[in-house]
Amino acid sequence: MNNTFETVYSNYTYILIAIGIFFLLFFPLITISEFLFFEPFIVFSIYPETTLSFLLIVILSFFSALAVSMNIYRVKLIKKTKKIGSSIIGTIIGASAGACSCGPIAFSIITTFGTAGSIASSFLNVYEIPIRLTSIGILGVVIFVTTKSLSRECKINL
Amino acid sequence: MANTKVIAVGVAAVILIVAVIAYASSYMSDFDNVQRSSQDEGQTIALTDVPVLGSKNAGVTIVEIGDYQCPACKLWFDNTRQDIIENYIETGKANLVFIDMPFIGADSVSAAEATYCANDQGMYWEYHTTLYQLQQHENDGWANIDRLTAIAFNLGLDTEQFNECMISKKYFSQISFNKQKASTDFAANSTPTFIIVNTSGTAERLIGPHPYSTFEKVLGSLL
Repeated sequence: MNNTFETVYSNYTYILIAIGIFFLLFFPLITISEFLFFEPFIVFSIYPETTLSFLLIVILSFFSALAVSMNIYRVKLIKKTKKIGSSIIGTIIGASAGACSCGPIAFSIITTFGTAGSIASSFLNVYEIPIRLTSIGILGVVIFVTTKSLSRECKINL
Repeated sequence: MANTKVIAVGVAAVILIVAVIAYASSYMSDFDNVQRSSQDEGQTIALTDVPVLGSKNAGVTIVEIGDYQCPACKLWFDNTRQDIIENYIETGKANLVFIDMPFIGADSVSAAEATYCANDQGMYWEYHTTLYQLQQHENDGWANIDRLTAIAFNLGLDTEQFNECMISKKYFSQISFNKQKASTDFAANSTPTFIIVNTSGTAERLIGPHPYSTFEKVLGSLL
């Protein structure tokens, strides 16, 4: 497994891709989840009750960065896209959870869809942690399978 | 087959990027509203109909726009509010008013009405505080009519008078008015939203459960 990581990330392009994907997810997610405020000045704040939620966002962003960058490498290497769809699905599921039920997104959903929107928003908020854990699980499986598959295919290619 | 997958993945990626851009645009438009609101909030704030916590002659008024079922409002209530009360409200520098914007569910409206029914017996802020202390998950029944009556009973309110107030929907129009005011006059589209305004009409808007340090800086600049 270590060899596979070394192979992929020995090319700095993939490190940059991974960092880019990490921040592309991390900043919107911490903004949506109200850890980061831009007005009236930039404020970053974590309350004791939200520490777990923040850690899950960090893990989710990290796993997404690994899964997507490794799959881009895989696509370039063997021209197959088998796993990248799963990693994006995992990322989207994780990202959809935890947008505060009283935040602007949920407000728009609830005012547009009424009771159905309220139920959907409540569900995403109440089950924020299980949804994020599921998503991290999906991404973990994707990373594992991709790593296995890369080490096997790289050997064949050698 | 491979091409189909590439297209599907591409579409998913585009949707994700569009969603992020759409959210960023809506977030930035909030900033425009803040600037617009800051100019005319001095004229639109009329605090005659709502209970005030602290001195009515305080130099700064903090208007909190909230929903009793909103978890972010509870987060602010649990972590920030007490420090503001101790350092600004009890010292007479600022006062606090709460404008209801109940949008999370039907129980949000009932809870807001209940606070005004409690206000009939002089217990608005006690009831308000108890609601946030007892808040559970959204729309799971923690703020249904029976629970609201039980809260009134535990606070020592006259439950007969309280129930009569709730059943007759005495304050339904007040809550509707507050909600309307929150979304139109204060352009709030999430809770908690705070409008902090001083006596000369200079206002600052905070969106979300900001920490105490933010309030300290903003209040310092407005006092």
